[in-house]
Amino acid sequence: MTMPDDSADLIVDGAGPPPPIRRLVPGGAPTIVLPPPPGTITAPNGAGGTGPTVERRVSALPAAQVAERMRTEELRIAYGGKEAVKGVSLPVRRGEVLALIGPSGCGKTTLLRSLNRLTELTPTATRTGRIVLDDQDVDTLEVTDLRRRVSMVFQQPNPFPMSVFDNVAYALREQGSRKPRKGALMEPVTEALRRAGLLTEVQDNLDHPALRLSGGQQQRLCIARALAADPEVLLLDEPCSALDPKSTATIEELIVRLREEVAIVIVTHNLQQAHRVADKVGFMYLGDLVEYGDGDRIFSAPREERTADYVAGAFG
Amino acid sequence: MATTAPAPAPVAPAVPRRARRSGTAQDRRTELVLALVAATVLALCAGMLVFVFVKAWPSFEANGLSWFGDGNVDQQIGDIFKSPADPADYVYTIGALPLIVGTFLTTAAAVVLGLVFSLFTAIFIVEFAPAWLNRILEPVVRLLAAVPSVVYGLIGILVLVPFVAENLISTERKESVAFVVQLTGASWSVAAVILAVMIVPIMIAIIVDALRAVPKSWTEGAAALGVNRWRVMWTISVRTARPAIIAAVILATARALGEAIMLAMVAGSVGFIPNPFDGLTFFFEPVRPLAAAVVENAEGLSVIPFGQTIYAFAFILLVSSMVLSLGGWLAKRPMRKYGIQS
Ligand SMILES: Nc1ncnc2c1ncn2[C@@H]1O[C@H](COP(=O)(O)OP(=O)(O)OP(=O)(O)O)[C@@H](O)[C@H]1O
Ligand SMILES: [Mg+2]
Repeated sequence: MTMPDDSADLIVDGAGPPPPIRRLVPGGAPTIVLPPPPGTITAPNGAGGTGPTVERRVSALPAAQVAERMRTEELRIAYGGKEAVKGVSLPVRRGEVLALIGPSGCGKTTLLRSLNRLTELTPTATRTGRIVLDDQDVDTLEVTDLRRRVSMVFQQPNPFPMSVFDNVAYALREQGSRKPRKGALMEPVTEALRRAGLLTEVQDNLDHPALRLSGGQQQRLCIARALAADPEVLLLDEPCSALDPKSTATIEELIVRLREEVAIVIVTHNLQQAHRVADKVGFMYLGDLVEYGDGDRIFSAPREERTADYVAGAFG
Repeated sequence: MATTAPAPAPVAPAVPRRARRSGTAQDRRTELVLALVAATVLALCAGMLVFVFVKAWPSFEANGLSWFGDGNVDQQIGDIFKSPADPADYVYTIGALPLIVGTFLTTAAAVVLGLVFSLFTAIFIVEFAPAWLNRILEPVVRLLAAVPSVVYGLIGILVLVPFVAENLISTERKESVAFVVQLTGASWSVAAVILAVMIVPIMIAIIVDALRAVPKSWTEGAAALGVNRWRVMWTISVRTARPAIIAAVILATARALGEAIMLAMVAGSVGFIPNPFDGLTFFFEPVRPLAAAVVENAEGLSVIPFGQTIYAFAFILLVSSMVLSLGGWLAKRPMRKYGIQS
């Protein structure tokens, strides 16, 4: 569970890392600022030569707080004969939020699912290449152990057909060796709901059926469910796709706050969101990791033409 | 019910007038036909219940509550059969408790055994069995469901009963209870085992379908939290499939309640209440379930009080299966709240 904190320096980036060009807030403390109301944001627009127009509102953590947790090496995943991920090498670090962006169908979800070996649940999926968690090949880990440490929130909200409380308590009940009492679960459950920004809406009735929550509430419930188990790596597949701006802001704040303890990978189609929360951005296209680097740099000065086109909104 | 159905959407004005009208008229006709069919089925059920009850009434009326009491039932059935022809001298005296206990014992044991076996078999088929094994297992299960009950009865009486009599019941054991009952091997436990074999295929089929219908997103969501396959199966899939499991239990219980031929062949046909305090002997004691008593005595129906007594047996069976369906419906109701479909 513990790992050297300076391992970030040893990483070999798949797509040629630039030196950090992050603006650091004087003092180094991350400042979390709510995104402004919709309408005041200008879209990322680095490709048209107009320069970056969206400011990152969160500074990077000091390098000492950044540490590599996971890494893929030449990862290839195919469904049947069709390759969905084509040789991706990528680090996942604690202290650095990684955003995966790219057009629909480019393999983001597939890549994310492979990180905790969920692809193995798809019978047609085959994988080659290594995935490493804290210098251990994930294939050598007990799969349940891996998934406890590397937790995933799915693209489609998938609350279980139980009460709100039971959903969040599910992992706690299943992961403990002895079944905890309901009273003992109350605190971690409410805490997880609070972090996911759902508590105020559900605290009056934790027995409410989860499937009767709204889509956005279900999404936050799924985030709470994943958080309750205290994962070390959190995989978020478009966690804000059904959320209003306020809930989105809550989740983004949460992500930024969590990054100090948890390595976070977020897939998003919202480029502004990627820019707001991510320290590193990977751009995928048709299964390739086209470009990987600092978020600011990807949006302001992409090196690849496809990246430039995508962040300019040309396709996707 | 608790679910709030969305209000019917107003008819879209964009639909051409004629199409809409004919559509509605057709809908209404379909609705009417379906309502008629449903009403007919309900009326038939109610009619049958009333008919059987009216036929059975003299037996219940003559005995009162002692109908459900203990009695030397085989002797009493014989006496009723030998009733004098004069209606004033009809014999009705019966204490049917041994028959009821026989039905309950065989049914309950078979359903419990069958449920445990079929639940774990279904879990195995859905989650753990390799594909090639399933290709063999599933047709075999379907085939087993179609085997006629006489065949099971024959196997029971020709193979299982002699085996039990010769290998499992010692002479001392036979002698120890010889003054009360004969231990021939034909017994409630052998009957229950065969009954379980008979109801297991349909239960497996229903539960397998239900487990397969559990949304993948739920099982994947649980797996993504680091829960192992068995616990995912148990806490998500089986939990979600509970209404289907209840349905399977009800169907199986109804089948077991109504099974007559096999039970008449294997259960011993002695109106006896097995005594759990007999220890192991308990399992070798014979019974006479209600349905078996009905078929065994079908030829005597022309004797009026006898026929009425048999109708009373049938009425008890009918009411039991109705209560059963109601119980199942009640058991499924609270699950619907959390979105588990039945
Ligand atoms: N279970 C599956 N079986 C076969 N092919 C699949 C399966 N899942 C995904 N694919 C294919 O793999 C490719 C990558 O899919 P993936 O879901 O990873 O895309 P994505 O980048 O997450 O897209 P989106 O942004 O729309 O969610 C697609 O071409 C898709 O058709
Ligand atoms: Mg996806």
